[in-house]
Amino acid sequence: MGRILLVFRLVSADMRRHPAQVAMLLVAITAATATLALGLSMHGATDALYRQTREATAGPDVVALSPGTDRTTITALESLEHAPGVVAHSGPYRQFYTKLTARGSTASAVVQGADVTPGPVDRPLVTSGSWVRPGGAVVERGFATALDAGLGDHITVAGRSFPIVGIAVTAAHEVYPWAPMIGPGGGPSDGGGLVWLAERDTRALESTDFPVTSFIYLKLRDPDTARELRLRNPAIAPAMDPAFADTWVNFRAWQHIAEQDSVILRNSQPILVIGSWLLSFLAVAGVAALAAGRAAKQTRRVGLLKAVGATPGLIAAVLLAEYLTLALLADALGLTIARLVEPAVINPSGSLITTATGPTGGTVAVTTVVALAVAALTTLGPTLRALRSGTISALTDPAHRPQRRAWLTRLSALLPTPLLLGLRLIARRPGRAVLHGCNITTTLIAITALLMIYAQPVTGYPGSPMANDQRTAQERHLLLAVTVVVIALAIVNTITITWTTALEARPTMAIARTLGATPGQITAGLSTAQLVPTLPGAITGIPLGLILVYSPGKVTMPPAWWLLGAALAAVLATAVLTAIPARIAVRRSVAQTLSAESA
Amino acid sequence: MYEFGDVLRVRGVCREYGRGESLVRAVDEVDMEVPEGQMLAVMGPSGCGKSTLLHLLGGLERPTDGEVWLAGRRIDTLSERALARLRRGSVGFVFQAFHLVEELSAAENVELPALLAGCSARAARHRAAVLLERVGLADRARHLPSELSGGQRQRVAIARALANEPLVLLADEPTGNLDTAATLDVLRLFEDLRCAGQTLVIVTHDERVAAIADRLVSMRDGMFVDDIRLAGSTTGRLDGLIGLEG
Repeated sequence: MGRILLVFRLVSADMRRHPAQVAMLLVAITAATATLALGLSMHGATDALYRQTREATAGPDVVALSPGTDRTTITALESLEHAPGVVAHSGPYRQFYTKLTARGSTASAVVQGADVTPGPVDRPLVTSGSWVRPGGAVVERGFATALDAGLGDHITVAGRSFPIVGIAVTAAHEVYPWAPMIGPGGGPSDGGGLVWLAERDTRALESTDFPVTSFIYLKLRDPDTARELRLRNPAIAPAMDPAFADTWVNFRAWQHIAEQDSVILRNSQPILVIGSWLLSFLAVAGVAALAAGRAAKQTRRVGLLKAVGATPGLIAAVLLAEYLTLALLADALGLTIARLVEPAVINPSGSLITTATGPTGGTVAVTTVVALAVAALTTLGPTLRALRSGTISALTDPAHRPQRRAWLTRLSALLPTPLLLGLRLIARRPGRAVLHGCNITTTLIAITALLMIYAQPVTGYPGSPMANDQRTAQERHLLLAVTVVVIALAIVNTITITWTTALEARPTMAIARTLGATPGQITAGLSTAQLVPTLPGAITGIPLGLILVYSPGKVTMPPAWWLLGAALAAVLATAVLTAIPARIAVRRSVAQTLSAESA
Repeated sequence: MYEFGDVLRVRGVCREYGRGESLVRAVDEVDMEVPEGQMLAVMGPSGCGKSTLLHLLGGLERPTDGEVWLAGRRIDTLSERALARLRRGSVGFVFQAFHLVEELSAAENVELPALLAGCSARAARHRAAVLLERVGLADRARHLPSELSGGQRQRVAIARALANEPLVLLADEPTGNLDTAATLDVLRLFEDLRCAGQTLVIVTHDERVAAIADRLVSMRDGMFVDDIRLAGSTTGRLDGLIGLEG
């Protein structure tokens, strides 16, 4: 108990002394675990939401749709009420293909004539307001969100204005913007939203020339046999019954609707999972830079602990406990963020119910392993080095002696002072330069992928500008969010790497200043040490980003100047970001630095 | 350009640290001149302000009050950039802890000031070879500092300080970390430099170092308490002075 208390005291004291480092570690690992948790939550997410919505709205097992409203069509649909295995039905209903205006926007829509009291199959869940009544419209939630319309707003259909009296969700139609399911005349759909009007309010649509599709909702004894219904029923297989030879019935099993609903997230999961890899790498890079920067202090701390009789086990516990505790805390934060953000990500249209979401046990396990791995990977090396060092050498020597690269030193002698200093700083810690290069490569991968996605033409829906491809919009938003987080972490890493380089090279730079190097030259040297690996990092990141997003087929490449601009921006941003900590670092008095070094 | 006269001149220099009750006056109203070619030793107990004075003379720190002149130019008002340029050409530093760049060889350490001053790599290399020869370490040119003894490291540091032929060489406890034999080597080197007309200011605890100086200043509590011009040259009597003779 006493040992645990001691470890706790030492860890908490160290955390209090280094709040910025604690914050940086938390932010880096939280970003990675949140993205990973979101990415993992994508798998089967829509299916789960669809099932919840289907259950809450008594969703149909089969929707049978047929263009037109003539007697034969209705008879064909009604014949399905008595088909083997059918235990309940609602309808037939009609959906009219029309344009709708709301809050100044015009959009394609299907208007469904609805019973004032919904039938046994498909009882849309009203999420706000009330169900349809004569003179009042109910708008499907995804469509209402796209229109930015709410209760009390008015929609205009076929020249007639209706107040919105309710917002509802249903599992009988595919999510916005695929609500029509089939287009006019049974052709492909141009997309659009769903509006329910009382049956008598649809008469205005009947009198004009709007295409109509009739449909019926069916409930089966065994929902799993929904796809087989088509094979068994003559109305859906007209070749089996000549009476329906001229009738065409389109059949949508609930499994088909669930699959179509998930299309909107098809590319979201790879974006988030690959994004989480990139963020995990940046977290490793950032924490490694942090750990390396603290190595000298930690080694002296180890020396002190050894000197007062601490065992290697206790010392290892002290050194590892801090990072592992922070990693677990960051994991919990990441999972919480994922839990909060998840509804918006997995249900972008808002057309489904999002009640029971949240990371699964598997997701929690994976993110925890990743968080702990990030902490362990970056701290194990310095911890083992510190444990192996003798007490006296730990108290006096630098943790990790700088390396010598004779060829780089010789080469740098031929160059101007900032480059000379920069290259020699790289020669001291080549691993850190590689780390920074990879940091930039990772950032450019994300930026290039984003530019690539933005370069693709939007496959829109005629007449529904706000529905212009919701799926593309979802991908763009997610990739943009991931890229922003990647850039933010890369910025933090660049500053951390520069700062740790500046701290570690402080004595050497102080010597250079006694020999006549100006503060400007030292600042430029520190910046150069980061700029030199930035260029190859950026150049490597661009093709990798293109490869990541490239898929066979017709792909529009982004203009070359976009990519060159991104690489140039990375170099300029690095120059600016490194100049700040470098400038701060050279402010310290040379005499003070040298005195501290001699002490 | 600087002509013959006082290389260093200090007028009413003060250096304070802290404020209020924790105010410490490390250097207190010091006046001094160091003529060209003089070897000045500054002695005093630890914490009396010797090192601070040396830092003020070399422009590594700025005085709180007073004036510091180097080669006829007031330096306490110069910008950091101008000070750096001044140090590059006019001042050489030698420290007790050597302060060599650990990952550079002896020759590369000695080349560094010349490279910073804009010399070509070839010229810097040549100059380093000459200086290492002068300090007796030509055969150790490729060795890293960690492969050299303390005395050898200090000789490399002296060679480095001389790389740009400074007007004044400022040494802070140059023998503080050395054994007797290494101390003798370093003192011989200083004596050679003095004979060659190099201006030297050496801060030291070591009376053997002071014994070879032209002038000895004693400090206490930041002030000069004694200023003695030592009569005659000690050249040729160094071994005897430091008790190593026969």
